[in-house]
Amino acid sequence: MIPPALRRALSVWNLILVAAFVILGLLVLYPMFSILAASFLDPETSAFSLGSYQRIFSRPFYLRCLTNSLFVSGLATLCSLAIGIPFGFLTTRIYLPGAAILRTLSTLPLILPTFIGAEAWLLLLGRNGLLTRLGREIGISLPSIYGWPGVVLVFTLQFFPFVFLMVSAAINSIDSSLEEAARNLGAGPWRTFRTVTLAVVTPAIVSGGLIVFYMSIENFGVPTIIGEGYKVLAEQAYSEFVSEMGGNPSMAGALSMVLVGITLLVTVAQKAWVERKSYAMSALRPPAIRRLAAAPTVGAWLFCAGVVFLALFPFLLVMVAAVTKTRGPVMYYGQFSLENLLNAFRLAPRPIFNSFFLSTAATLLGVLFGLAVSYLVVRRRGAVAYVLDVAMMLPLVIAGTVLGIALAVTYNKGRIVLTGTWMILVLAYFIRKVPFSIKTTASLLQQIDASIEEASINLGVPPVRSFLKVVVPVMLPGILAGAIIMWVTTLAELSSTIVLYYGPWTTMTVQIFQYIGSGDFGPASAYGAILIVSVLVPLFILNWALGKDLTTAL
Amino acid sequence: MRVLLREISKRFGAVQAVADLSLTVESGEFFTLLGPSGCGKTTLLRMVAGFAAPDRGEILFDDRPMTAVPPHRRDTGMVFQNYALFPQLSVFDNVAYGLRARRIPSAEIRERVLGILRMVQLDHLTDRSPGQLSGGQQQRVALARALVIRPQVLLMDEPLSNLDAKLRVSMREEIRRIQKSLGIITLYVTHDQQEAMAVSDRIGILSGGRLQQVGRPSQIYFAPQNRFVAEFMGSCNLLEVAVVAYDGARQLVQGELAGSRIWLRAAERPEAASLTLLLRPEWIELATQPPADGENWFPGRVCSATFLGSVVTYQVEAFGGRRLTVEVQDPRDHELREEGGPIALHFDAGRPVVVHP
Repeated sequence: MIPPALRRALSVWNLILVAAFVILGLLVLYPMFSILAASFLDPETSAFSLGSYQRIFSRPFYLRCLTNSLFVSGLATLCSLAIGIPFGFLTTRIYLPGAAILRTLSTLPLILPTFIGAEAWLLLLGRNGLLTRLGREIGISLPSIYGWPGVVLVFTLQFFPFVFLMVSAAINSIDSSLEEAARNLGAGPWRTFRTVTLAVVTPAIVSGGLIVFYMSIENFGVPTIIGEGYKVLAEQAYSEFVSEMGGNPSMAGALSMVLVGITLLVTVAQKAWVERKSYAMSALRPPAIRRLAAAPTVGAWLFCAGVVFLALFPFLLVMVAAVTKTRGPVMYYGQFSLENLLNAFRLAPRPIFNSFFLSTAATLLGVLFGLAVSYLVVRRRGAVAYVLDVAMMLPLVIAGTVLGIALAVTYNKGRIVLTGTWMILVLAYFIRKVPFSIKTTASLLQQIDASIEEASINLGVPPVRSFLKVVVPVMLPGILAGAIIMWVTTLAELSSTIVLYYGPWTTMTVQIFQYIGSGDFGPASAYGAILIVSVLVPLFILNWALGKDLTTAL
Repeated sequence: MRVLLREISKRFGAVQAVADLSLTVESGEFFTLLGPSGCGKTTLLRMVAGFAAPDRGEILFDDRPMTAVPPHRRDTGMVFQNYALFPQLSVFDNVAYGLRARRIPSAEIRERVLGILRMVQLDHLTDRSPGQLSGGQQQRVALARALVIRPQVLLMDEPLSNLDAKLRVSMREEIRRIQKSLGIITLYVTHDQQEAMAVSDRIGILSGGRLQQVGRPSQIYFAPQNRFVAEFMGSCNLLEVAVVAYDGARQLVQGELAGSRIWLRAAERPEAASLTLLLRPEWIELATQPPADGENWFPGRVCSATFLGSVVTYQVEAFGGRRLTVEVQDPRDHELREEGGPIALHFDAGRPVVVHP
């Protein structure tokens, strides 16, 4: 006979609580501690040393990596704000034909792999790019896309939807009576906009900007592909790590820590700002959509459609390139050939299988774990659950490359060896994406009254079965939407994959990255097209079957 | 079947939700826990259901201790404040839910579900989903779902609070009818004293986690044991009267308040030097002039008059500036008194109830 106190302590939920902390410890805290420790060790003597940090902040090369990172991320943030804010206002407040389609299309870049965007711009404006060659033929030399301009361009076009989404959500939360009150008290339209509308939207703008900055600074693929010699932190940490495998763990660790320091700062700043400055509102009557005269409407429409076109055209080009005849870096546009696609499907289908398998495994883990943890956080409130809630968001502040390095360093020797197995990839994907899974599931759960479960228990069904029988079915559409988003974003994952993959477990993303590196744009585009289709098809299904779009899970 | 609560205590942090509470609810009884919000009534109900565990004390169904039994094995049927219908299930499946959990053969499930739905007059809506039902219909489904499992105890947590006033009245009558026809022991929680009086066999008034008084509705209304119960059960006037003398032959206490002499009926001389008297508004009469030799007539002044149809409510100043509420029932032939004008108040010496502070 087990005493009731012990039985309560051993309940399923307590076991999950412990398991969650163990998983977090093994996959995040311990690995991060390992590279933190490594960063303070001299690579040769293994004695305590601040040498790596000294080098970062004294050697011009490393210092430039840092300033480059800050520069491209900062500039990309400003550009994203410059595009995202007007885009948000125009598509939400002004009547534009096809605004709904524009809004939906504009969110696609968030889900499409950034490094494919980079590849596409090389296809257009690279040394052998379509436009570059056209320009050469008519005697115009186009500006180079390589280096920071290309990086900023790609970041801006892929990340501006973060700003737009935050802004338009904030605008829709303003009850129209607020603006009417300002007008009634004697403020003119411009003054009303400045003192009411803009003031209320500002936290959303800041928050969106910080997200763009964070996404840019942690990005590995884009600067590596289009930056050429323009080195950034995420890229250099990887280089230090792989040079002859285990090249300089101390330097890789120190660079990682600097990167984590920045991302942590940005995240904390965002949280603090948003919590201090956001106004909890729910609009009973969202602001009315205004009709402008014909000319401004056309202007606004051209701006929005142009932005969407610029953001999506590169991906269209990759689809075209996939069925174009190629020889090395030279594309013969107009001459169609299925050679590259057939090669990908017939001769080298393994990366496709790998990507699908790994994403599916990570998604299944993530959904189940997310469900259990969000239940603890939402329903079993309390100090421990709160700590878990905050701790589970930790992976969000760790760049993919950094997490990859940390896992690789930690699990390449000792009792548990995972480096060089497919499992480490699944675990890395899982822990990187699980915060999103927890967030979406938790917000779903918050909308479901706890008494539904209690009603089921009261009618004789034990607690865990009650949860599965009456709560999960209600959440299912939301969970499914979250799972699809998790699956497609995992499929497009490059930064931790590049660190953790090995031969037989090459993924599509790694394959594309390598083909781009060697200038084989044909095969790169073939895999790229397969990846784009694999990402878009589930999203369209999501849209049709569940009536949800990307925004529900981001 | 009886429900016994024995010396139950429960704290939430610094708040003592239930303090050392004992109660017995008898077989077939409709018992209501009545009190203001935060008085511990819902906590108590949830402890009977098993969703909260008492820190100390025992809950028994007959002789069986329930404290260690998990909620899904307690065999209580609960109706939740927001009904808690499963949104993904039809009316039929909602009601059948508890029977399926008990692995009852499907033919019997069908029969019992349709039977109980007929009882709550919803047998024509079996295929609807809860979202397609009105508030009152959802309420009936929740009731049917709790009753169909033939629970040992029916628990209801403010079941009518989400309905509009008219529906509340008809639903409470229906709940009462069904409860009596099934003879099921029922624990009902509400903060509405009229609702409590309308449905209950007995009421327990809760405040600060303690039972202030347990009794039949009329006992509680006419003989509240303390000031809290008096004030909570309907509107009331409380007067502090000093005891001056006792006339044993007439069994009358002579009291004094602000210079006025007040007569009170009492079987023996009160021990206390002063008494708190409860006067319900409808126990006081008004007149333009007191009769020449009338006892217990007092001068006053009209502060306000509110016409409400079935009654007129007056605020009257008397006894040296004290405010009293007075009700005149069926005011068809009653002439509304002018505000600020003089008036005479009267009550029978047997009417006031002595209340403990």
